Amino acid sequence: MNAIIMIIVVLFPMVSGVLVPILPFRSRRQMMIYIEGMTLLTSILVISMLVNQPTNSLILFRFTGDLSVSFRLDGLGAVFAGMVAVLWPLAVLYSFEYMEQENKEKYFFAFYIIAYGVTLGVALAEDILTMYFFFEMLSLVTLPLIMYTLTGEAVQASRTYFYYMVGGAAFAFIGMIFILSYGTTSVFVPGGVLDVAKVGDKTNLLLVIYVLCFCGFSVKTAMWPMSSWLPKAGVAPTPVTALLHAVAVVKTGAFTVMRITYYSFGTELIRGTWAQSLLMALIIITIVYGCSRALKETHFKRRLAWSTVSNLSYILFGVVLMSPLGFVGALSHMVFHAVMKICSFFCAGAVIKKTGRTYIYELDGLGRKMPKVFLAFTLSSLALMGVPGLCGFISKWNLAKAAVSSGNPLSYVGVAALLVSALLTAIYMLTISVRAFFPGRDFDYETIRDVEDPGWRMIVPLVVFAAGMFFFGLHPQPILKVFENIGAVMP
Amino acid sequence: MEFVQNLPFISIILSLFSGPLSSVLDGKKAKWVNIAVISIISVMSAAVLAYVVGTGRSFVYRMGHFPAPWGNEIRVGILEALMAVFFCVIMLLCMVGGVREREQQIEETKQNLYYVMVNLLLSSLLALIYTNDLFTAYVFVEINTISACGLIMIRQNGRTIEAATRYMIMSLLGSGLLLLGICFLYDLTGQLLMSNIQEAVRALDASGQYHIPLLVSVVLMSVGLAIKSALYPFHAWLPDAYGYSTLSSAAILSSLVSKGYIFLLIKIFYRVIGFGIVRESKVIHILFVFGIIGMIMGSLSAIKEKNIRRMIAYSSVAQIGYIYMGFGLGTLLGVIASIYHILSHAATKSLLFVAASGLTDSAGDSTDFLDLTGAGYRNKLAGVAFTVGSLSMVGFPIFSGFISKLLFAQAAVGHEIKMLPTLIALAISTVLNALYFMRTVIRIYTPERRLGNEKQRAVPLREQPAKSTALICFIVLNIFLGLSSEPVIQMIRTGLGMFM
Amino acid sequence: MNGWILIPIFFPIVAGIFLLLSSFLQHLREVKRHKTSRTAVAAESEELRNIHILTAAVLIISAAAVLWAVWTGEKEATLIYLMKGISLYFKVDAAGRLFVTIASLIWVAICAYSFVYMKHEGEERRFFGFYLVVYGVLTALGLSGNLVTFYLFYELLTLASMPLVLHNGTRESIMASLKYLFYSMCGAYMGLFGIYFLFRYCGTLTFTAGGSLDMALAQDNKGIILIAVFSMIVGFGAKAGMFPLHAWLPTAHPAAPSPASAALSGVIVKAGVLAMLRMVYYVVGPDFIRGTWVQTAWMILSLLTVFMGSMLAYREPVFKKRLAYSTVSQISYILFGLSLLTPQALTGALLHTVFHAIVKTGLFLTAGILITQCNKTRVEDYVGIGKRMPWTLGCYTLLSLALIGIPPASGFISKWYLAQGALDAEVGIFRWLGPAVLLISALLTAGYLLPVVMKGFFPGKEFDADTDKLSLEPSMWMLAPLAVCAVLAVILGIFPSPLIQYAEHIASAVL
Repeated sequence: MNAIIMIIVVLFPMVSGVLVPILPFRSRRQMMIYIEGMTLLTSILVISMLVNQPTNSLILFRFTGDLSVSFRLDGLGAVFAGMVAVLWPLAVLYSFEYMEQENKEKYFFAFYIIAYGVTLGVALAEDILTMYFFFEMLSLVTLPLIMYTLTGEAVQASRTYFYYMVGGAAFAFIGMIFILSYGTTSVFVPGGVLDVAKVGDKTNLLLVIYVLCFCGFSVKTAMWPMSSWLPKAGVAPTPVTALLHAVAVVKTGAFTVMRITYYSFGTELIRGTWAQSLLMALIIITIVYGCSRALKETHFKRRLAWSTVSNLSYILFGVVLMSPLGFVGALSHMVFHAVMKICSFFCAGAVIKKTGRTYIYELDGLGRKMPKVFLAFTLSSLALMGVPGLCGFISKWNLAKAAVSSGNPLSYVGVAALLVSALLTAIYMLTISVRAFFPGRDFDYETIRDVEDPGWRMIVPLVVFAAGMFFFGLHPQPILKVFENIGAVMP
Repeated sequence: MEFVQNLPFISIILSLFSGPLSSVLDGKKAKWVNIAVISIISVMSAAVLAYVVGTGRSFVYRMGHFPAPWGNEIRVGILEALMAVFFCVIMLLCMVGGVREREQQIEETKQNLYYVMVNLLLSSLLALIYTNDLFTAYVFVEINTISACGLIMIRQNGRTIEAATRYMIMSLLGSGLLLLGICFLYDLTGQLLMSNIQEAVRALDASGQYHIPLLVSVVLMSVGLAIKSALYPFHAWLPDAYGYSTLSSAAILSSLVSKGYIFLLIKIFYRVIGFGIVRESKVIHILFVFGIIGMIMGSLSAIKEKNIRRMIAYSSVAQIGYIYMGFGLGTLLGVIASIYHILSHAATKSLLFVAASGLTDSAGDSTDFLDLTGAGYRNKLAGVAFTVGSLSMVGFPIFSGFISKLLFAQAAVGHEIKMLPTLIALAISTVLNALYFMRTVIRIYTPERRLGNEKQRAVPLREQPAKSTALICFIVLNIFLGLSSEPVIQMIRTGLGMFM
Repeated sequence: MNGWILIPIFFPIVAGIFLLLSSFLQHLREVKRHKTSRTAVAAESEELRNIHILTAAVLIISAAAVLWAVWTGEKEATLIYLMKGISLYFKVDAAGRLFVTIASLIWVAICAYSFVYMKHEGEERRFFGFYLVVYGVLTALGLSGNLVTFYLFYELLTLASMPLVLHNGTRESIMASLKYLFYSMCGAYMGLFGIYFLFRYCGTLTFTAGGSLDMALAQDNKGIILIAVFSMIVGFGAKAGMFPLHAWLPTAHPAAPSPASAALSGVIVKAGVLAMLRMVYYVVGPDFIRGTWVQTAWMILSLLTVFMGSMLAYREPVFKKRLAYSTVSQISYILFGLSLLTPQALTGALLHTVFHAIVKTGLFLTAGILITQCNKTRVEDYVGIGKRMPWTLGCYTLLSLALIGIPPASGFISKWYLAQGALDAEVGIFRWLGPAVLLISALLTAGYLLPVVMKGFFPGKEFDADTDKLSLEPSMWMLAPLAVCAVLAVILGIFPSPLIQYAEHIASAVL
């Protein structure tokens, strides 16, 4: 009965998270060991689950009637779970150093680990209700993490965050109900579950609902015009911004959108309709809008956050292409962007931790003092720009390939938008690197005398991510094979 | 006839007579009598429920064994028994939770009067639930109104008097319309017992006679009860009444009294007129539209509020809108959703009121948002409870509100035209709910930065055992309704089936 | 075993990175202890010598290796298989061979020059580090066997050459380098836009003489493919300084140290030319473009640039900026040749590529000498300079004549072929408009290059020749590369036939 492991991986981090503030730790060290141990253990469990590939589904509890919270592992879920499982322990390791000298860190770690479980719940959800359930839970458990510093700004940001999340969920809810009523089943099936006979001539209604639902779920991916929460949420401690607002939470949005598009509504009924065009237009706007805002932004983390807004829409762009190729593109950008963006955020965090500087014009000359951090940052910038040899190129290539072969004129515009965005990315990322490494001839290094690279707990994740960018950039074949196999079953 | 079948009647009588009894006792004793009575009735109702579920059939209890049309009847099905159990439990928790406030806010000499009112209220609610006679229903509606007025007024500050007066005027208007409607029906059919009227109405409908008068009667009754249960344009009395009365009163009024009227309306629709006829009349469309408007407008008013009690009160307007929208859909699923929402809202709203009072305790009884900053740290349990209540209101999974939202939405999907408006209204209303409830939640977890606010103080758990108990029970109830709603929904479904 | 052609590519890159890392370490050490003592200064000059030797050794070894590799037959090697249809793949062919050879020769020449020149700029580890990396990248660019590999090294070229531009670290040069970076990136992305489409419609991106477009598939999608091709032309035109993305050139060149400007103008802008050559003649195929609006637009843009560049150069008082505008104009000669799509014009374009590389390198080296020796940047300040540095100005004169196209210097040959090609091509109005513009531009070229010679040698009466008679000739290390360029510019003009044959061989393969 190896399906039970799915429940374990979801509940285990939640329980161990709840225990963090309760257990009597004698020292910070002890707590760190406990937290890292639990996170690692969860990741090991996840990976053993991925290896075992349990095929049957498992019901956690029932809501009403045949609506239940249940788990099943499939390809898409496995990719998402695997991605999260790799990133979480590294982020926790990083947080130990980052969160030093913060009081209340117990609560921080508690919610941080609970969020891990919830994210895994999203990944393993068998049907749309379960997914919605964990989708909402995720908004809730990440709320305290944004509020963590409890400054006025943080409170404001968390409020905005939550309004957006609830709003998104409210519209996503509509789609869920529609699937529950008009689908042959609520379980995710590649190609969709809509009962064509039931839908009948109500195609327009279907499309309206699909658009609403798509927009609802993609609030988490900060699609324009619902994108302003993400930069605001940057007030959270960097481990949160990096892991949750560049990966877990926002990718959950992308993941759910993939689920509803490819596994619930099905692409066949939507491809080529006004709904597809409308969404694609919104996404293209987001791609360019996010980059432009990033360019305007002078706050380090907020700039990265705007960049995330734009990059997330790359994923959505792949999704709305509604073809297996688009699916593969979206999936690869989902995974690769995670590596790139978390790396750049961690660099920003290291700078904040070491120097307390948060604005870009304050970064002059730091590259000489923190070479490891800024090398990693430059590398992630290059990857985000899509320089061949790093992973960003591969995912962009896949997206563009899908867009070009879809034959939809709007998607050609999308390709152009991808490249405009790449150019803007080059501008807003490389200006930071240039500033850090080449502060100008008359820069006085005495002003940053005592700055140095952070300790190993911050450097190790950076090295891992940098290696990851190269690995996926140079040898993407195995992982693309996995993606293609998942995409191959799509009609 | 089995003994259990006597219990509904006994429970009405018991609470009715414990009223006069309380009037001669002093406050302390009256309180214990009251609590004992409610507990006993809860147990009795539970027994009735178990019995009905066991037999799977409803039963009719004739008072004095007079046959119709002279006799007065009680009819008990699963739905009635469920409502009775639920109302008793909620009332008990509200009474327990509001003990301290009552002792502080009500004059020593009037304490026992309060319990008189509560007992009368309970008996009238039970009667509304159980009765099979339209006129009896009217009588208890009036009793209900009067005792509710008393509950509002008994905390004597200027605003409650005003609120009670407003409430009285609106309620009497509603009762008047209801009475008119009943008269019309009586004129048309010559009957007062619900089941008899229904047969007569069916005959009329089949023959096509008196179509308009029948319609007028339905409209009158619907509007009358809508006014009494504060459907949107008739809600003006509500915020003050809930906002300034003592805690138990507010909780009971918001979660039970208005629900009693709604339940009566459902009974009228199903058991008096017949739902088929109601559905064909345009009345439900009107209810639907006003329900939706109420959902939105109530929330908008709540967003503007700076007073936590009034905010919760306005939220009731929105929630009542949900209920009307539900049976405005005109489908069985819609009605099930509405009835479920009656339960879930009752559980949630009283939780919110009690939790809010816990929070205001820690802010020196100030209900202003500014003073509530950081209240969640000073009174931890109330903070958690308020969060639970808010999340339930917003429709977060695992809490009861989610299930009612789910049911409403599922019901809406079955209706071709009303589907999209309903779904979108639900979504917007969810967002609006989040706007004010989550704002409050975040506010109470924002640390206070202004120094020297002397009103604020920490409220430890042990200082208020009664309230804490009530809160914990409410939270459990809420999560129970959220996680294992299936049996409850089954009961509602079969109960409605028994109505037909 | 073909794989070892990769070695000369990666050897300089690795060596360059090694130098850069050592520059970092050195910097970290410096911060810890301030060096003031005399021994430290001595140690530093010792260190500098080592760097020079290291750079020279790496450069010569890899240049020798790469030349030997490319001139000993066709070779190919796959480095990494990336995705379906995409790999990092290198292949030696005629065009690549030409490019690599020019690049190697010029690189060695400039290297010798910079040993002296860079002394007053400082931070030599960094300069030579990037210098070596750029060399490796250029080699790789020349040897790339498909468009993706080409694109990779095209981007890397931008990134690696950018630090050369900002080398002196003033605010102005940093801004200039960013401008360079962003223009190039913009161009690269426009190119990438086209690459995506070509990948779809060509099936393969491997360079095949004459193109590999799938005609059946392409006919139905002609519109979008033409748009893609046009976008690539404009995009790759950025690096070649073609209007409308030319504006970085006059900003970046004056800001960079002179060896870097020489390298930029001489070789790096040719990467843009190579890109267009590869794309049009080896991927899309000239037949697809011939007679379409894309060809017309391309011709218009290049002629416009030719004319505009010369005009701006003519009006420009700052010497290096003037040369930069001249580059803008001259590169578009080449692009015009490419756009005509006839064998003769293509031959002319290839010849002009070679000649211009040599000449422009030489001119920038002269500019560097003038700037360091006179500390003056404006043209009107170079009055009477010929008396004090006759050798330098003599070389400059030869180079100018070559660029203007006065026989027998080399520029004449290439311009002849270009004009011939235009007259023979079926391009309507451009048949005579093209040569006319080329001619006007040649006149303007004379107008902006020769005044320096005139003023330098014949300062006129007002000039007080006695002020300073001290010779300002630079050291042999600087003069020799300049002389080599000048001599080559003339000799290639006198004995052009092997080169012409080679160019015709390339042209006949693709057309």
